[in-house]
Amino acid sequence: MAQKIVIDPITRIEGHLKVEVEIENGKVVNAKASGTMARGIETLLKGKDPRDATYVTERVCGVCAGSHGWVSSVAVENAQGAKLPQTARVLRNLILGAMWLHDHPLHFYHLSALDYLDVTMVAYYQGQDPKLLAVKDKIVKLVKAGDTSPLLPRYKPDEFSVNDPDLVTTAVSHYLMALEMQAKAKKMSAIFSGKQPHQSSIVAGGVTMLPDLSKIEQFRSLLAEQSDYVEKVYWQDVLTFGAGPLLPLARAGVGGGHGHYLTYGGFPLDDKGKFLFPAGVIFDNQFGNVLPVDPAQISEAVKYSWYSEQTGSKNPSEGETIFDLNKPEAYSFVKAPRYNGKPMEVGPLARMLVLKPQPFMDLVTRYGIKPGAVARHAARAYETVLLAKAMPAWLDELEDLIKHGETRIHDTEHWDPPATGEGSGLIDAPRGALGHWIQISGHKIANYQMVVPTTWNHSPRDEHDQPGPLEQALIGVPVPDPENPVNVVRVVRSYDPCLACAIHIIQPESNRILEFQIG
Amino acid sequence: MDFQSRLEARGLSRRDFIKLIGTVTAALQLPAIYQPRIAQAVENAANKPAVIWLEGQDCTGCTESILSSFNPGPTEIVLDLLSIRYHETIMAGAGETAESWLAENIKQGGYLLVVEGSIPTADDRFLTIGGRPFRQILQEAAANAAAVVPIGACACYGGIPAAGPTEAKGVQDIISGKPIINLPGCPVKPNWLLGTILHYLVFNQVPELDSNKRPLAYFGGLLHDNCPRRGHFEKGEFLTDWNDPAQKDFCLLLRGCKGPKTYTDCAQSWWNDGVNFCINASSPCAGCTQPEFYAAGLSDNRAGLAPLYVRTDTMSLPGIGGVNPETAGKVMAGASVAGAGIHLVGNIATGRLKQEKAEEGRRDK
Repeated sequence: MAQKIVIDPITRIEGHLKVEVEIENGKVVNAKASGTMARGIETLLKGKDPRDATYVTERVCGVCAGSHGWVSSVAVENAQGAKLPQTARVLRNLILGAMWLHDHPLHFYHLSALDYLDVTMVAYYQGQDPKLLAVKDKIVKLVKAGDTSPLLPRYKPDEFSVNDPDLVTTAVSHYLMALEMQAKAKKMSAIFSGKQPHQSSIVAGGVTMLPDLSKIEQFRSLLAEQSDYVEKVYWQDVLTFGAGPLLPLARAGVGGGHGHYLTYGGFPLDDKGKFLFPAGVIFDNQFGNVLPVDPAQISEAVKYSWYSEQTGSKNPSEGETIFDLNKPEAYSFVKAPRYNGKPMEVGPLARMLVLKPQPFMDLVTRYGIKPGAVARHAARAYETVLLAKAMPAWLDELEDLIKHGETRIHDTEHWDPPATGEGSGLIDAPRGALGHWIQISGHKIANYQMVVPTTWNHSPRDEHDQPGPLEQALIGVPVPDPENPVNVVRVVRSYDPCLACAIHIIQPESNRILEFQIG
Repeated sequence: MDFQSRLEARGLSRRDFIKLIGTVTAALQLPAIYQPRIAQAVENAANKPAVIWLEGQDCTGCTESILSSFNPGPTEIVLDLLSIRYHETIMAGAGETAESWLAENIKQGGYLLVVEGSIPTADDRFLTIGGRPFRQILQEAAANAAAVVPIGACACYGGIPAAGPTEAKGVQDIISGKPIINLPGCPVKPNWLLGTILHYLVFNQVPELDSNKRPLAYFGGLLHDNCPRRGHFEKGEFLTDWNDPAQKDFCLLLRGCKGPKTYTDCAQSWWNDGVNFCINASSPCAGCTQPEFYAAGLSDNRAGLAPLYVRTDTMSLPGIGGVNPETAGKVMAGASVAGAGIHLVGNIATGRLKQEKAEEGRRDK
C-alpha cells in the first residue's frame, strides 16, 4: 500500500509550498504540489493608475527583482501605445542581466547545494589549502559550539550525496564566496536602477536614469568580476558535480517531467523580436521541432485551485478569478496554466533546449544526461555563462548610443494613461516565461493578470486531471527511506520555485471579495 | 570558557572580531567611540544572539536585502554575527525536520523574532505553513521572544498586500505585550536591522521609537529635509521630462515624489553599499517607510499614497510647488509664521513636523 508523505514547508525556495507524495516500493507514485499563501496583488491594482502596476508588481517577488516591473512596463507600454527608446531597452537588459547573475548562482549554492553536500565531511579535509583550512576551522568550531544553524538540521545524506572531503570543503568555501558575489551583483544592478531588490528606475515608457560614463565603468568592473566567477567557479562546480557524483541522477533523468517546454524569449536585442535567448515551444521532447509561441494558446484551469469554477479555462487576457476556499477538490492557490492544453515546463532548461548552444548540447550527449533535476542545474549555469559573456557588448552598445546622442530614455509623449487600452508583456524571467496582461478603462486599471513561471511549473492538475510539470516530474523519484525524502526536495528545488510569484488573485466587480464563508 | 576561547569556538580570530565590531558600529551609525562598549557587550553575550525569522505574506525581498549588506557582509551576518535558528529561505532542513526544530527553539525562548511579510486576517487559510495558520505560528513564536522586529512595509503595517482581499495586517495588529520595533521600507535596508539588533544587544533595551514604533535613529528625519534635490525644490525647479539633461537633478515632486511625507534616512545612507537610492536615480520616493505606503487597507479608512507617479493631495504654492494641506494648515494657523515668505512656510512645515514626531516618540515610551 502506498505511504503518504507531506513536506510542508519546502524550505530554501521563495515562498510557501507544500508537497505531498505517495510512495510505493521505494518510489513516488503520485504527487501533489500546493501553494499555501495568497496576497491578492492583482486585486488591489484594480482601479489604480496603470503606471503604478510597474511598482506594485515589482513587489510580487524580491528574488527575481526587476523581472515583474520590467514585464509590467512592457504590458503598460503596449496598452498606452508607448515606444521604448533603444537606450532604455539596453539599460533594462543590463539592470536585469545583473539580477540574473545574482539569482542563478544563489539558487545553486544557497538554495540547492545543501541537498547534495554532506557538509559534515568538511571535518575530514586533509589538504593544505589555507582558504579551505579556514573553512574547515570555521565549520568544525561551529559544530563544537553546538551552533550550526542554518546548516543543520537537515535530511540525512544518501547515496547521491557528495562526501569527498576535498569536494565538499571546496563547495562550502564557494557557498560563502557566492554569498558575497550575489551581494555584489545586486550592487551592480543598483548602480543603474536605484536600489536592489526592488529597483525604482524601470517605469512605464522607459527608465528614469541615464548613467554617466563613470557609472558605466563602475558597472563594467563589477561585471568583469562576476563573469570570471560565473565561468570559473559556478559553471565549473556544476560540471564537477553533474558529471561526477551526480551523474547517476543525471543519466536516470530523475525529475524529468512531461517533456513540453515553453519560453517567451529572454533579453530583447532589438524591438523586432530578437532575443539573447530566443522564444519557442517544444512538445514531447521533440527538441528538433521548435514551434513559435502563440499567446492565444494559453489558458488557465482552476478545477483543483481555490478559485470559483465559473472562471476556469480562459485566456489570461480575459481571465477573472474569484476565491472559493471551500472547494472540496481544490488543493492549491496556484492555477493550472496550459499551452494548447499541455502542461509546459518553463525556465533555463526550456531556454537551453530551444537555443541548443553547441557546448551545452555536446555535454548532454557526451554524458548521456536526460532532462531532469541535474539537467536543470546545468542549463541554469550554462545560460549564466552565456549571459555574462553577452553583457559587456551591451555596455559598449550603451556607450555608443550615448556617444551618438541617443540619450532618450523615456517615451514621455505616452506617459499619461489613455481612456481605454489593453496590452500584454511576455518576456522570460530567470525562472521562465513571465506574462502580464492589462486592461485600461477610464484611465484606470480595469483588469490585471499575471501568469508567472512557477504557476507553469508548480501548477496543480487541470480540468482533464493532467498533473502539473512538477507533479509529473516527481513520479518515479526514488525514496528508499520515507523518513528521508531528500530526492523529492532535490527535484522540487531544481525548478527554483517562487511561490510568491505563482499565486495571484483577480477579482471582478466588487473591490472586496469574500464569496467564501470565513472560518 | 574565556572570551578568547568563545570567539575561537565561533571560528573568529581576535582580529576578525575587532574588524566586525568596527563594521557593526558603523552599521549602527554610531561614532567609533562606542566601539569598546559594543565590543564589551558582544563579549559579555555568551553566544551569538539567537534569531528566529518567520516569513508571512512576503516576497523574500527583505531577506534578499539583508543579504545585500556590505560591511558586515552576508557571510559575517549568517555565520559570525547572528545565530539564525529558523529561516525558511536559507535553512538546510525542510518539512517536519524544520518544524520540530522551530518548536524546540521556541521552547528555549529569549530570541529576537524577526518577521518578514504580512499576516492575512480575512481568513487563516490564506497562509498556512505545516498545515497551520501563520497567525498562530507567529503568536506562539512571539510569546517566548525577547522582542519582535517586523521588517519591511508588509510586516510593519501590512504593506502593499494590506489593500488586497486577504486583509493583510502588520505584526503590531496581531501581537501585544511584547516590545515591537518596526523597521519598514520596501524592502528593509540592511543597516536598519543590523543596527537595531546590535543596539538591543549592547544597551539591552528598545531604541527610542516614534509613534509608529520606528527607531528615531533611522526614521526620525524627513527625507525631504535631507534630499540632495532640495535646492531645486526651493527654486521651484521640477522634473517633467526624464529625457531633458537640464532637468536631470530637478525635484521629483511633479513625478509624485512622497519625500515630503516620508521619514527615512535614505538620503544620508544610500543603498547597496551606498551606490544609489531612488531619488538619485531620478525615481520619485514612493513613501515605502510610511504606514500609509501605497494604498489604504480595506478594513480601515487610512488614506494611501497612491497614485505613485502623480502629485497627490498637495496644495499648489507658487515657488515651492506644493506642501500637503495638513502640514501647511498647521503652519499657517501658527501666528509665528504670519508674514513669513513662502519658502519659509515649506521649511517650517517640514521642520516642525519632524520636531513633533520626535516629541510624540518620546511620549510613547
